[in-house]
Amino acid sequence: METIYTDLLSIGAGLAGERVAVEAAVAGFDTICLSIVPPRRSHSSAAQGGMQASLGNCAMGQGDNPDVHFQDTVKGSDWGCDQEVARMFAETAPIAVREMAFWGIPWNRVVPGKSTYYKGGKQFEKVEAKEKEGLITARDFGGTAKWRTCYTSDGTGHTLLYTMDNKAVEAGVRVHDRMEAISLIHDGETCMGAVARCMKTGKLRVYLAKATLIATGGYGRIYRETTNAVINDGSGAIIALDTGIVPIGNPEAIQFHPTGIVPTHILVTEGCRGDGGTLLDVDEKRFMHEYEPTKAELASRDVVSRWMTHHIRQGKGVPSPYGNHLWLDIRHLGADHIKTKLREVEEICNNFLGVDPITQLIPVRPAQHYTMAGVRTNKDGAAYGLKGLFSAGEAACWDMHGFNRLGGNSLAETIVAGRIVGIKLVEFLKGYEVKFNTQAIKDRVAIDKERIERLVGCKDGRENVYAVRNAMQDQLMDKVGIFRNGKDLQSAVDNLQVIYERSKKVGLHSNGIGASPELSLAIKIQGMLRLALCVAHGACVRTESRGCHAREDFPERNDGDWLKRTLATWKEGDVLPTLNYEPVTKVIELPPGDRGYGSTKIIS
Amino acid sequence: MAIDTTIYVRPQSGISAYLDWLQMLTGAGLILFMWSHMILVASVNFGVDAMNTIAKFFEDSYMAQVGGPMIGLTFLLHFALAARKVPFRTEQQSTMWKHGKMLHHKDTWLWVVQAVTAMIILIMGAIHMWTVLTDLPITAQKSAARIQGGFWLVFYLILLPMVELHVGIGFYRIAVKWGFIKRKTRQGFKGFENILTLIFIAIGLITIVRFILIQVIQV
Amino acid sequence: MTRRLTFNIFRYNPQDPESVPHTDNFVLEEAERMTLYIALTKIREEQDHSLTFDFCCRAGICGACAMVINGRPGLACKTLTKDLPDEITLMPLPVFKLVGDLSVDTGTWFSAMNEKVESWVHTNKKMDPTVQEERMNNALAEEIYELERCVECGCCVAACGTANMRQDFLGAVALNRIARFIMDPRDERTEKEYFEVVGTDEGIFGCMGLLACEDVCPKQLPLQDQLGILRRQMGWTAVKQLFHIAK
Repeated sequence: METIYTDLLSIGAGLAGERVAVEAAVAGFDTICLSIVPPRRSHSSAAQGGMQASLGNCAMGQGDNPDVHFQDTVKGSDWGCDQEVARMFAETAPIAVREMAFWGIPWNRVVPGKSTYYKGGKQFEKVEAKEKEGLITARDFGGTAKWRTCYTSDGTGHTLLYTMDNKAVEAGVRVHDRMEAISLIHDGETCMGAVARCMKTGKLRVYLAKATLIATGGYGRIYRETTNAVINDGSGAIIALDTGIVPIGNPEAIQFHPTGIVPTHILVTEGCRGDGGTLLDVDEKRFMHEYEPTKAELASRDVVSRWMTHHIRQGKGVPSPYGNHLWLDIRHLGADHIKTKLREVEEICNNFLGVDPITQLIPVRPAQHYTMAGVRTNKDGAAYGLKGLFSAGEAACWDMHGFNRLGGNSLAETIVAGRIVGIKLVEFLKGYEVKFNTQAIKDRVAIDKERIERLVGCKDGRENVYAVRNAMQDQLMDKVGIFRNGKDLQSAVDNLQVIYERSKKVGLHSNGIGASPELSLAIKIQGMLRLALCVAHGACVRTESRGCHAREDFPERNDGDWLKRTLATWKEGDVLPTLNYEPVTKVIELPPGDRGYGSTKIIS
Repeated sequence: MAIDTTIYVRPQSGISAYLDWLQMLTGAGLILFMWSHMILVASVNFGVDAMNTIAKFFEDSYMAQVGGPMIGLTFLLHFALAARKVPFRTEQQSTMWKHGKMLHHKDTWLWVVQAVTAMIILIMGAIHMWTVLTDLPITAQKSAARIQGGFWLVFYLILLPMVELHVGIGFYRIAVKWGFIKRKTRQGFKGFENILTLIFIAIGLITIVRFILIQVIQV
Repeated sequence: MTRRLTFNIFRYNPQDPESVPHTDNFVLEEAERMTLYIALTKIREEQDHSLTFDFCCRAGICGACAMVINGRPGLACKTLTKDLPDEITLMPLPVFKLVGDLSVDTGTWFSAMNEKVESWVHTNKKMDPTVQEERMNNALAEEIYELERCVECGCCVAACGTANMRQDFLGAVALNRIARFIMDPRDERTEKEYFEVVGTDEGIFGCMGLLACEDVCPKQLPLQDQLGILRRQMGWTAVKQLFHIAK
């Protein structure tokens, strides 16, 4: 077996993974990133809107500071976050933005003078100060008190990722692309690296490392409809869960986005509704004002998503070969507005739908969007349960997002957490030596080889891996989606358990030689189902509504019983995850209160 | 782009740049020459005397005797420079051919046309120059006699479009490569260049017809 | 009326000794708003589990899904079937090493390219986290972004006659990258240093101006303009070197 030794093994080469890797490489440590795609194709690039940092340079961001950002983040999380982490995050974000500027990001800058902007369909005017000219500017994003979202036109994630990878190349970080980690090597106490499968040749390879980082992003692809890239299938969370020791934090904390286009679920910005776009049903009639008389389409992202789902369930959806959807109507905004202020929306519609939004309706429906859940770590990014295992970015539950992530905080988390965890990881590496337990390595490799042989040889059956995956996705989408209730959740758990049994009988329909996309999925299908069960079971047990976790049968936020974080682990041979709980935060700077997102009941 | 498997120090020189400059300058020079040449030869359309007078001027000033070989050298130099980019190995030729067929891309085909016409011009142009320059002075009557012989008529009916295509495409290519035309002006320039090429071919054809019609005094 | 689409797809698995390069035909009913991402995923899940291709963001952002679609390199996710005839021929990108079927190894190529052109801001300054950022004109930031939009999909390389004939040619993507750093005042490289990277036949002087890169770029990067500017810049640097006045 080919074996490669390194100091830091980062599983994932998106923004978070590479930021940590850069820190380690600059400190002189040998660093390898594994990535299932070339690093610059990572899903980080899709975060187009921007990243939050309280620089306070632009007119509408005046008076902004880390305190305000911290408060927005904690409120946004519905008090589900770790406040110590949220504080560190808010304090570090401006430094991280400047550091990225230093490395080459062409951030948009303050242009002095008058300009106009739209809010709620109305036009307003603002004046940028002369003395701020050329400093990093910011735009508006939902859920924040100030304009705080730093951006580069319509490609913030893209420029961040390219600049980060540039820096990684400069620092000598080695990226092994098309290399998928399929298991962690550990002895129950220490993580020693990972077994990976080459997605070019199909060969297995052992990576031994002093420290292993999971930075594989979210797991949106366990849902049928998601805005996530096709690679976000939770492989990092799966290998962590498979240790039986490392917990997934708040697996039920999943965010949805109201306007994914049908069928590809590429998201169109909420700016469409912000600028006055409306939602229409099968009769081409507006409906949001019936549910939310005051805010209508301008209600927050989760509220709109919920009513859209509800309306489709009422039989008001538009039938299509891809299932029912609704319409987003921006025609009345006019060609001028659409071609300038909503240019990317126009491009998305033209390129991916063949629809002209100036004259035609846009087919949309809510889709899974973000995974607040992830590998539970402490504030240094060290995973619970295994020494030498770390996690950062969307893959981690660090936990600054709690039960709802603010727009612009995801991109910010990647480089801020990457920076903080990177520094801590370097400290760890400096004073740490590891003994590689060759028996543990041999055993792990043997298990993985056997798994693959059984799949290729159809030793356990010939279940179609795609059919199994689709069945799982349907359960999650229909029953563990935007609206949740005890009955559906329990039914999802029951059904997922049946599907989990099916997943154990998967066998390949192709020969599995070489890159084999089918084998790649088959290897992780059981893990995906375990993950799905964590989500469903965690959601079923949490009898309250908090942030994105909206229970129809428990509409109140219940701080008395549920101001705590779910920790899901999976013991080998079990059919359900083990759920433990911990307090959400050790430090309480901002006591639980009202988010100011509309009428909600809170049980304290 | 090949992936370096060895570490080596690249010799610091601007040789590629200088050769590219020369390729462009010789090309541009030859374009100007070909246009002037065509206009001068076409002077026969204004009468035999017009052409003869001009030819006499170039010979009396020794521009033909000196300039002719100079152009010949430039012509060979340009070929040698440009040939660095033209595939001579069968493998590369077939790659380029397959590539062109796959891509359905006009500018790529235009380059194939350039490469093919270059080979033809190299041979026919050399023959033409040798024939003319070893038989000075140039007169309308001598040219007419050659063309009326039949062989040279076919010869020039082939060479004319070859040269004009090569010159027209080369003109466009220089403008594109050196950034004289931008994305916005490219289509317009291409149209202009096409018309220019057609005009020169037309002038050439008219001139050939004119040569056929000249009464040659049999010596 | 729904069309029946025929997909002629190149098939070859270089890891499988029994595999030989050939074309397979798949028939699929067209649905409204269908992209090649939807179509190929459907074919793999319903007709042939071994069909290998790359998609990642499926939103035209990541550049993973470049392939040759009816003769032209392009992003499959950005291609609607309604814009194509009934018969659709899909081939992997040339120049890059084949992984299998429609999937090629762009990762190795691009990481080598990024190392070769040293695709990062070269500076001797030290980052001071306590001070305000250096100012930059917004118009300049947007100009840099315009070139930074490249997604390294490989279409320009696959469409390039020179790159197809010559393995050592850097391609428009690398030349555009250098143009991006030349424009950026934060990069302290001198014109001589840039010249060393691209002032060769592997770089800008190898470009024959066929402009297929410009015509196939899915992000409509201004490649024609940038290549022209770069040739002039490097040309002048060479002249200045001749007179020993290059910086």
